Amino acid sequence: MTAPSFLSTRPVFIVGIGLHRYQRRSDQTYVSLGLTAVREALTDAGVNWTDVDAAYTGTALLGMGASRIMLSRLGATGIPMTQVENASASGSSSVAQACLEVASGRSDVVVALGVDKPRGGLGAAPGEAGIPNLEAGSIVPFTHFALLASEYMNLHAVTDEQVAKVAVKNHRNGSQNPFAQRQKVRTLDEVLAEPISGSLTRLQCCPVGEGAAAVIIASEDGIDRLGIDRSRAMQVVASATKTEALYAEGVGIDAALTAETGTAAFEEAGLEPSDLDVLEVHDAFAIEELLYAEALGLCKPGEAATRVESGDFDIGGSCAFSPSGGLLAMGHPIGPTGVGQIAEVVRQLRGEAGPRQQPNARVGMAHMVGIGAVCVVHILRKP
Amino acid sequence: MTTEARHPHLLKLVDPPIIVGHRCISCERIAFPPDPYGCEKCGSPSDNFENWDLEARGSVRAVATVHRHHRPAPITPFTVAVIELVGGPVVKAIVEGDDVVVGSSVEGFLAPEDKDDAGKVIVDLRFRITQ
Repeated sequence: MTAPSFLSTRPVFIVGIGLHRYQRRSDQTYVSLGLTAVREALTDAGVNWTDVDAAYTGTALLGMGASRIMLSRLGATGIPMTQVENASASGSSSVAQACLEVASGRSDVVVALGVDKPRGGLGAAPGEAGIPNLEAGSIVPFTHFALLASEYMNLHAVTDEQVAKVAVKNHRNGSQNPFAQRQKVRTLDEVLAEPISGSLTRLQCCPVGEGAAAVIIASEDGIDRLGIDRSRAMQVVASATKTEALYAEGVGIDAALTAETGTAAFEEAGLEPSDLDVLEVHDAFAIEELLYAEALGLCKPGEAATRVESGDFDIGGSCAFSPSGGLLAMGHPIGPTGVGQIAEVVRQLRGEAGPRQQPNARVGMAHMVGIGAVCVVHILRKP
Repeated sequence: MTTEARHPHLLKLVDPPIIVGHRCISCERIAFPPDPYGCEKCGSPSDNFENWDLEARGSVRAVATVHRHHRPAPITPFTVAVIELVGGPVVKAIVEGDDVVVGSSVEGFLAPEDKDDAGKVIVDLRFRITQ
């Protein structure tokens, strides 16, 4: 179905952002993590909890019934609350649902929250689908991506050092982000140490910790009625979700799915890849930034590694890739990750990102993939 | 002494071993692993499938040696590869030998993995450079 974008019929804006720092698993409850992010987002937007019409909570690991226990501590207002699980894209999908809710006209002010705590395993459905495979047990996610790295590096004659430079860049970005789980500048030698799988090393794999991220999504009616500062409201101009289709045998599904979802998002927004100033991608493993830069049309196949080396994807380059530090440095607490990406893009478009500010950022994208496979892409624009 | 495959319905224990996939009678798609539910290409239910023997031969598209693993087995280091079978489907499997690189021609063989309490040998498919 190709229809006019629902986001063009009733414009949708991100008016508030809030985070709890991503961190290693601690004794802190998910309630405390989530409330920290939501309270900060409400303050940032200058709205009260009683102004909020609905809430979506992206979480993959908490289990049933987390939303109301958390959010009723802001006041049990009785608003509709829905939990959204979409693997690593759970937070992104909570944003997508909140955008749809506002664009539909049912609500004017909606909270999208992501919160999770790691549980030592993903509890993922594919393992219980009753479809045994030869490799069962031997290929965990980092090895899946190590194999993609092997194929890509062989095809394009890319070296271990070139892939590792993605991680050097994103750790450097993360060192400027107070919400990042990893906040240390790393040398190329440090990144290349501690092999995990194939060419991937520990610092080329994301940490999975805990945290929370929240955004407040509002219509123009909501902005006007509540007197929200329009200059800090960033418009959502594309919200695209796709799942893996049947690709040719052996084609890397994550990149193929990203290409399709990215194309849908650019079409919806009426924008081109060259319009992007800021791009937060699902860089759970360093190789992914290269795969997705090409899949999203930021450069030609095989060019991404040299673009990283040239500084083109640095803050200050033509498009800042993962200025937050990305999943590699900011972290990947699962539920919060996609919401945290949106918060970073908003901060960048507002010009409020301090030492990690991409100059003159006007258009930004957030991209997540998740097992299944699913892909969710949002594009935001400074009005 | 009896021998059994770790995944009995994925393998035929002959020499050389045969990998069992499925063929959808409606759309002729050949796929691995054999699916108990339905066809991802045309949506036919799996009672419209026939078993399809695939030669355990192919070429390596990608290879990675695993140094750290989240699970007790296999024991690290071990090497896995993405193998494009001559019959079409792509499989991932453990490969043996340091000489396997992208582009290598490989063949499957049955490697003993374990012994159960009754002395039954559990075998699984591995790949190595074509002899």
